[in-house]
Amino acid sequence: MSLDERVEFYQITKPRKDENTKEKIKFRAFVMKKSFAINNKNLISKKRIAEVEVIMSITRRRFLGWLGVATAGTTLGKTANAASNKHFSGYPNSMGVLFDNTRCIGCRKCEEGCNTVNELPAPDVPFDNLSVLETRRRTTPKAYTIVNRYDTVSNINVKGPLYRKVQCNHCLEPACASACFVRAFTKTQKGAVIYDSSVCVGCRYCMIACPFEIPTYEYNSALEPRVMKCTLCYPRIVKGQLPGCVQSCPTEALAFGKRTDLLKIARQRISKFPDRYVDHIYGENEMGGTSWLYLSAVPFKEVGMREDLGITPAPKLTSGALSGVPIVVGLWPVLLTGIYAMSKRKEKIAKQETAEAVAAAIAQTNAEAKTKHAKEMEQVQKLKQKEIENAVKKALEEAARPEAEDASAQQPEEADKKPTEEDS
Amino acid sequence: MKMGKARLRWTGITLTVFAVSICLTVTGIYGAKNPFESGIEKRADIIRIDSMKTFGRLERPPVTFLHQKHTEALAEQNKDCSACHLVENNLLVTKFMRLKDTAKQEVMDIYHANCVACHKETASAKQNSGPVVCGECHRDRPDLVSIWQPIGMDRSLHYRHSKAQNEKCERCHHQFNEVTKKLYHAEGKEGTCRYCHKEVTEENRLSLRLASHLACIDCHSKTLAKSDDAGPVTCGGCHDPAQQKLIEKLKEVPRIKRNQPDMVFVRSTKSGIKNSGPVTRMKMVPFNHKAHEDYNDTCRVCHHANLNACVQCHTLQGTKEGEQVTLEESMHRLNVNMSCLGCHEMNQRNPKCAGCHAGIPKTRQQDPAACQACHMADGIQVAEKLQYTDEKELAAMYLEARQSLTDMHAASDIPENVEIKSLMNQYGAVKLPHRKIIQMLSNNIKDDKLVAYFHTDKDTLCQGCHHHSPAANKPPGCGSCHGQPFDERDQFKPGLMAAYHRQCMECHEAMGIEKPVATNCVACHQKKG
Repeated sequence: MSLDERVEFYQITKPRKDENTKEKIKFRAFVMKKSFAINNKNLISKKRIAEVEVIMSITRRRFLGWLGVATAGTTLGKTANAASNKHFSGYPNSMGVLFDNTRCIGCRKCEEGCNTVNELPAPDVPFDNLSVLETRRRTTPKAYTIVNRYDTVSNINVKGPLYRKVQCNHCLEPACASACFVRAFTKTQKGAVIYDSSVCVGCRYCMIACPFEIPTYEYNSALEPRVMKCTLCYPRIVKGQLPGCVQSCPTEALAFGKRTDLLKIARQRISKFPDRYVDHIYGENEMGGTSWLYLSAVPFKEVGMREDLGITPAPKLTSGALSGVPIVVGLWPVLLTGIYAMSKRKEKIAKQETAEAVAAAIAQTNAEAKTKHAKEMEQVQKLKQKEIENAVKKALEEAARPEAEDASAQQPEEADKKPTEEDS
Repeated sequence: MKMGKARLRWTGITLTVFAVSICLTVTGIYGAKNPFESGIEKRADIIRIDSMKTFGRLERPPVTFLHQKHTEALAEQNKDCSACHLVENNLLVTKFMRLKDTAKQEVMDIYHANCVACHKETASAKQNSGPVVCGECHRDRPDLVSIWQPIGMDRSLHYRHSKAQNEKCERCHHQFNEVTKKLYHAEGKEGTCRYCHKEVTEENRLSLRLASHLACIDCHSKTLAKSDDAGPVTCGGCHDPAQQKLIEKLKEVPRIKRNQPDMVFVRSTKSGIKNSGPVTRMKMVPFNHKAHEDYNDTCRVCHHANLNACVQCHTLQGTKEGEQVTLEESMHRLNVNMSCLGCHEMNQRNPKCAGCHAGIPKTRQQDPAACQACHMADGIQVAEKLQYTDEKELAAMYLEARQSLTDMHAASDIPENVEIKSLMNQYGAVKLPHRKIIQMLSNNIKDDKLVAYFHTDKDTLCQGCHHHSPAANKPPGCGSCHGQPFDERDQFKPGLMAAYHRQCMECHEAMGIEKPVATNCVACHQKKG
């Protein structure tokens, strides 16, 4: 049981005073990352929740911090994924089969054994008729496994033809399962990749995803067509029985056991008989490793096996694109909310600034008006003073002439002075 | 009128069908033609003329020159080698129309002037001729494939040569005197040409290719001028695999005499056995040199660098000239035919032996009994005995005293038939002709001396099938060890069904026994009736 479950939890809650607005800001970011690979479900399941709460307003510094946390949450989560750069070398004690083509005699007993234990329909050509080996065949809904013949020359120790058995390789990280969006395929702890027809929607993505071209489809079944492929005889191996093909192989060209033990056996055979084998165990690393392993007397491409597959498991090939999903789902709301908050704040500041400017302008205008008025009043007073002085002069001159006229001129002079005092 | 129209229509249809069928035939013939397989000529006389590369980078692709084609064409015009090759010191020079590569322009002109001139001349005489345009000589020739095979002197060929030369070794064998810079014959120091003449020409030393072409062809052609019985002078005569097979091979070849011992102890020190002391704690190996000469075609199979004793280069610790290969390794290295064990192991690949031996992993580590088949003489005893007798005689004594297996179990002691009652749910019992198999195996190997010395026991042969148990008169049956398959406690042991099938089938395959066919179950299993 290798449940890889990890939860990362970040929480920041910091009330803080804004100096400008003198209002309380409460900022809270909650990022939870949970990622796990469940062994009895098909592959990686990712869940990511980002929760953001903004109560009042936000500063740039707060926002950048927040963004950092969100990014860290998204990227850190990757290491916990099964489809990461961590190499998954299979469930411990999972079973497998080693096919050794130097031992295969091309008798088709494995095909027959498979047919019997899986209760498949009778074959088109009986199993004891070896003429079918003249043509290249592939797996069909009626035959989970087939044997093909190859005439090779590159190993002088090989006197006759070589055979290749074709069936599901039961990848450690199966492409079919990663392509299936309803999880119809399951990589079991025993090593078998099994199929659940009850959830299958018939999209046949698995058939396209499989690099070994193994899954087949019941095209001739109108109502409930199923994807058909080798099950590694899962129902049998959980009971401690051998897979049908292995049980019926007369020469142990098929060896059943723990995958780790099979690797040891394969290495031992190569080291004991270096002339007999090419120094490679097919399936040890191909497509990230498969539960079926192969030994061959000639380079594998000469017996029709793909050597261009590389050692990257199929799910990892898609994890790059899929890892963009949490960024989009998790980061974009944060980003957009942040941008919204910032533009909101900008608007507010602009409004405030305008109001202040208007107030300042009004105050200035008022002040200017006041000084203007005061100046004018001063001038007016000056003019009046002058007038008074002139009038006094005039009156004195007139008084110097007739004294009678003096007395009559002094009365209006005092009456004019009174309003000037009130104004000041 | 109506008749005429119909006739016209039918003529039209017939013509169309005819035209279409012709088109299809033409495309059928030429369309299906594989450019890689058809039109390829296999030749043993392909020479790439790239002499200009001594003057720098080639300006044009090298010329693919077919030597034999030219000699044949010249012979028709009554011209010989001198048409193209100059003579110096009474020997033909292998270079074309010159003695030395002098200067770039000069060499280039020699080729262009002479080749083109001759081609033009031949063409003007209305005979098949070669190209005169640059690109027709200077081009790649994917239509030619070389089947050239190296050739060497074997014991049979050597005997025929020495007989023809009245056993005058000095006619071919020579040494180089560093002081006088001359070749001389050192009697008793003859060796294979390739001990001195290596891949490339060095100072005072021609390459093997040059030396052999100069000497062999010169002598062959001079002999040919005198009599009909001469060696090949054409490329194919020596290097065409088909013509190589035509070279007469004597069945009984007299021994080449070169002071070699008949019987000898394999030495572990350069100083000889008398002075060696207890240097090696291994028991010593007396070696039948004379017998091993007969088992091999050439001396150089074992004496790959010179005709000295192995220990001269392969000492106990290894030397620089021996490429640090120790004496032990030089005797026991696998997958080479110049070591004892390597060659013996290759003999096991003989179909007569391979039935049992193909299934036995090849290891340096041997069964102690097998070691003692060679390492038989106690060093201290040998040293003591050497005081009274000659080393070679002592070696012969040890070899004569060696035990060899000459007989097998009496037929009456071998069970005639063995009934295998497995898989009885599907088939009847298998009747194994047990005695017949053993008798066939022992008949196959009864005259083999290697077998006689290494199959140390009457039961050794039985161990081919009754393996992993001590040799015994009544060995355990297969079911004693083999049971259910894929037992986790003993993963490397096959189950009983696979043990039977693989033992029978792999032996049959290795021995080239085609019947019964492995996939024909009822050829061995009786039909259930």
